Amino acid sequence: MSGAVYGGDEVGALVFDIGHNTTRAGFGGEDSPKLDIPSTIGVWLDSHDDVTQKRYNIGITSINVRRSEMELTTFLKDGMVENWEIFENFLDYIYTNALRAIPNDHPLLITEPPWVTHPKREQLTELMFEKYNVPALYLAKNASLAAFANGRPTCLVVDSGATHTSAVPVHDGFVLTQAVVKSPAGGDYLSAQCRNYLNEKGIEIVPPCMVASKEITKSEEAANFKRRVYQAKLTDSWHNYMVRQVMQDFQASVLQVSDNLYDEEVVKTMPAIHYEFPNGFHKDFGVERFKIPEPLFNPVAGIKSGIQPTLGVGPLVTTSVGMCDIDIRPAMYGSVVVTGGNSNLQGFTERLNRDLAAKTPPSMRLKIISAPGATERKFGAWSGGSILTSLGSFQQLWVSKQEYDDGGKAIVQSKCL
Amino acid sequence: MASGVTVSDACKTTYEEIKKDKKHRYVIFFIKDERQIDVEVIGARDEEYDQFLQNLQAGGAGECRYGLYDFEYMHQCQGTSESSKKQKLFLMSWCPDTAKVKKKMLYSSSFDALKKSLVGVQKYIQATDLSEASQEAVEEKLRATDRQ
Repeated sequence: MSGAVYGGDEVGALVFDIGHNTTRAGFGGEDSPKLDIPSTIGVWLDSHDDVTQKRYNIGITSINVRRSEMELTTFLKDGMVENWEIFENFLDYIYTNALRAIPNDHPLLITEPPWVTHPKREQLTELMFEKYNVPALYLAKNASLAAFANGRPTCLVVDSGATHTSAVPVHDGFVLTQAVVKSPAGGDYLSAQCRNYLNEKGIEIVPPCMVASKEITKSEEAANFKRRVYQAKLTDSWHNYMVRQVMQDFQASVLQVSDNLYDEEVVKTMPAIHYEFPNGFHKDFGVERFKIPEPLFNPVAGIKSGIQPTLGVGPLVTTSVGMCDIDIRPAMYGSVVVTGGNSNLQGFTERLNRDLAAKTPPSMRLKIISAPGATERKFGAWSGGSILTSLGSFQQLWVSKQEYDDGGKAIVQSKCL
Repeated sequence: MASGVTVSDACKTTYEEIKKDKKHRYVIFFIKDERQIDVEVIGARDEEYDQFLQNLQAGGAGECRYGLYDFEYMHQCQGTSESSKKQKLFLMSWCPDTAKVKKKMLYSSSFDALKKSLVGVQKYIQATDLSEASQEAVEEKLRATDRQ
């Protein structure tokens, strides 16, 4: 049935790429997603009219609202949906408020992490067919999509996202699940490191919304600003999220991975970068620029606090390749695809190239492939999904509603490999 | 995961003509209307590798292609005094970095279908630039599995 009904090229499929930092959603065939919203959601209790009701604030504007007792939380854990109640609300928001699309009208492609478990996939399938009544569904591994989008059906995908960095071998478009290696060091880890570092230095991070007015001060001079006081009782999770946003900006503008193993003497000669915090405090950052991201590649160099990654990105790749069949190892080293938002960190690919060059067996060639633009890396998996769904030939591969009705939820395991 | 693109019968017959009858030197495949892999160019038996590369890139920097080549080289086995001629078939996917993402996606996700329908190819090569597609690089790859 699927082939006949969805035989045309214009099916208007939707593509959802769910990540820890943001979720990308949009129509298949377009160049970029319509929507890139935080996967963080505000939950609060509404005791209006004597009935207490749980309410959800979703979307970039509404989670920034200063509402009493609103906890910010996420529905994800390890890239998989953990809290289905929040997730359903999140989907409702995407369909009705953001995309204004009727679920019943559009086939849907959802990306999933390479280590997704069978029960999670089945539960997601059940939800999409039973509650949302989607006409057809496909679950695609984000690593395969990134591999295809870079023109390499056989490659090793290094995906550095918000909560983790993973090395995923892909062979002929299929993920070799048993050889996936991941570490919990990603963008959030760096944010935490930055925050710890600044706290140690006694630099207070005040989110922009807390600053009422500020005066111009000299560099490294204590900030002179008026704090805005709110009546609302703000939660810690909300405050943490606001601080994280400042840290993400700090990370993107200041941090850089050093070309070689971190060496204070060498790094001292590198130019410093000036950064101004929302409260008006500003100073030059020199050595710190390189010191903070160093544990990503060399865990022992870590500033001793919080979680420690056990493997740097280089060893992550070599371990994963080592777990692959010996026949495909040269192909893996021959095409290492770098993707994920955190890989936009300055110097990330250059450092990975150096670390790997030292460890690649002499008989094998090393080649690192990465999309040139920051958005292409951030939206790598999404645009892969977008193109895939727009191909006329892909239309026969959907899991259709009828197939689901006939075969039950287990059908995704055999159709979406 | 695959794209669902199919392989035309012409591809298979041309492949057999190269493999069994040695009628041609190489063949270039392309994807027609995003649906089917078809034959674009057939190279005569006396053509050189350079002509294969030229035809592979004939579509310009923004195009992807597949190429199948019947490669010949001299190989001397250890312990023998004379070298002998070896023939190996390789199938190459050509996806230059400059190509549109859509093309790359289409060609790389359909490569598996072509691989499956052409049985007996010794080596699969993914190339994104000339350093991977040049005669030397290809020969090195083909020799890698030979006994010394």
